[in-house]
Amino acid sequence: MSLTQRSAVVRRLIVSPGSAPQHSTAPAVASAAAVSAVLRAFGRPPEDLPARTVVLLGATAFDGVGPAHEGFTVRTEATPGRALRRAHRELHEGTADLALVAGFGEPDPWTITVYAVKRAAEAVADGDAVLGVLDVTTPADEDTVPPLRPLRGNPRGTDPDRHRLVCWSGRNADDEMRVRDELLPMLSGVHREVFPALPATVPCGTPPGPVRGAAVTVSALAARSVHKARTTDASHPRPVALLFPGQGSQHAGMAAGLYRREPVFTAAVDAALSHMGEEGPRIRADWLDPARAAIDIDDVRRAQPLLFAIDYALGRLVLSWGVRPTALLGHSAGELVAATFAGVVSLRDAVAMVMARVREAVKIPAGGMLAVAASEERVLPYLTDDVAVAAVNANQQVMLAGSKGPLTEIAARLKADGHTVVTVPATSPFHSPAMAPASDAVEVAYRAIPLREPKMPLYSGYTGALMSPEEARSPRFWARQITDTVYFRKALDELLAADDVLLIEVGPRQTLTAFARRHRSVRLGAGAVSPILPARAGTPEADRQSVLTAAARLWTEGHDLDLNAVARLWTWSEEETAPAAPRVPAQAQAQLA
Amino acid sequence: MSTTTATVTLADLTRMLRESAGEEEGIDLDGDVIDTPFMELGYDSLALLQVIGQIQREYGIEIPDDAVVDAETPGALLALINSGRATAA
Repeated sequence: MSLTQRSAVVRRLIVSPGSAPQHSTAPAVASAAAVSAVLRAFGRPPEDLPARTVVLLGATAFDGVGPAHEGFTVRTEATPGRALRRAHRELHEGTADLALVAGFGEPDPWTITVYAVKRAAEAVADGDAVLGVLDVTTPADEDTVPPLRPLRGNPRGTDPDRHRLVCWSGRNADDEMRVRDELLPMLSGVHREVFPALPATVPCGTPPGPVRGAAVTVSALAARSVHKARTTDASHPRPVALLFPGQGSQHAGMAAGLYRREPVFTAAVDAALSHMGEEGPRIRADWLDPARAAIDIDDVRRAQPLLFAIDYALGRLVLSWGVRPTALLGHSAGELVAATFAGVVSLRDAVAMVMARVREAVKIPAGGMLAVAASEERVLPYLTDDVAVAAVNANQQVMLAGSKGPLTEIAARLKADGHTVVTVPATSPFHSPAMAPASDAVEVAYRAIPLREPKMPLYSGYTGALMSPEEARSPRFWARQITDTVYFRKALDELLAADDVLLIEVGPRQTLTAFARRHRSVRLGAGAVSPILPARAGTPEADRQSVLTAAARLWTEGHDLDLNAVARLWTWSEEETAPAAPRVPAQAQAQLA
Repeated sequence: MSTTTATVTLADLTRMLRESAGEEEGIDLDGDVIDTPFMELGYDSLALLQVIGQIQREYGIEIPDDAVVDAETPGALLALINSGRATAA
């Protein structure tokens, strides 16, 4: 059974209900007071828990517990075993994103054991401390508490020639030079099999200093890379803001070099795909084997769901290093990923929103999108029919969208006047009035989704400003994104005006990085930008090398990373070590037999 | 089809890179940029195509479309333009 089909216990504690005497021997009875005790035990106010949180009581004796309590759905089951099994079912049927299970009379008659249960892949992606996964298969008896099985241990990567990160620091410039000089002979003498196992930071065991260096390298080049690396002053780290790219940034096999080679990324991609129903496995198959893909990556049915999954998983990966961003901005479809990280919508609901958008977008007559190297004012006089400005990305970069015919005509006229025009790989005229029927249809679907206000600064490309609580909670605001213009440049302007930050683009290609590099703040060195993936499709190792370079950038900026988490990029692998058996067509097999 | 005799210098290219970025959003091109990838200078493929278009018009030469893919740095682009692969239009 894979991680996506399991449920993980992320917290477990034993409480004594209410203000009962410390050494009470009276059996615990499920009551409103007992439920309050359970919720208090988690120490989190209800609004900090997911919108779809269910409280399940497993108790033989009930004392007037109502169906709703403190805004949550409360259900009762006859035994703790049944309550835990129900939690598992609800999590996987999608009626709950978090289950708080209270096992009354566990382990002693007068105590309650409280479990927080999540879908296992999301628990890993969220960086929760997983106590174990519920084994609901054995025993068959519904009343027995299902045993907790340990999460499968860290599979070790065996390839000693993978890139890894070497980080070092000093209290001052002289100290840094001394540390580096001690590092060099060690690296030149080390056997390549030992290289991956060396500690990620030098000196280890002491708090990192403010003068830093880092190298992303392989064993054979390690000493030279460390010798050549630049020294940086890391005493004033700028806060991190995450940029999530949207459609147009996809490419075949994007970020595939991280799948099954990094546990958080892998769990997060799987978690996102697991909410896509029957399409999930097909999307994954087309992603991992582009040569045999049934549907092309540029098709909206692949581009949007996969971009969502990959942006989301890369964001989770960066968070797993201990990075806490202070602002979020997504481009077009990337805004929904940003909203997921801001707590506006749960992963499962965000995926439902993406799938609804895709379902409605394919009903719209095929259109297209163009990128034009000109200002908005320059292109406006060329617009005809339903063609509209889809996005204003940078000073000299706008996008147009609309029906095929008029769009082709406009492209020809722009080119004739000396403008540079490139066709964007898109099959739907997103951000143009042609999408209005899709917008209306998804608005109806979005009304059923619980939306909350952002818990952190979330910038919107649709308003070009911070997203207000009212906007975040409005189904119409989200539905309108399909037809409305993206003012990415204005939103980035606002973000960079609020603070000097280190922007990290968490998605394939470097589209938003290029826009940011043209921004005054980044140009003058007040702000900075670092992409997480290569600018173009490359080898799986290039994906990993690029992610490590972003980690190195965060380190030299002065951020203290959980380097054990980063190290999984070169020590962890779930890939089969033996080469896959050559595929023999069914017909040939029959003949061989 | 005759081979071009026009020679584009780094100074010419830098000027055109600057112009194409517009007045407000210039790029820092004062340093040693010859081997810096265009992406790191803030030029994505569209911006680079625009610069290439301008070079073609100004020098009356034709640069193959795949130049954007092949030439990752100003140095590589200049080498391509001046190697004779670019032809007089």
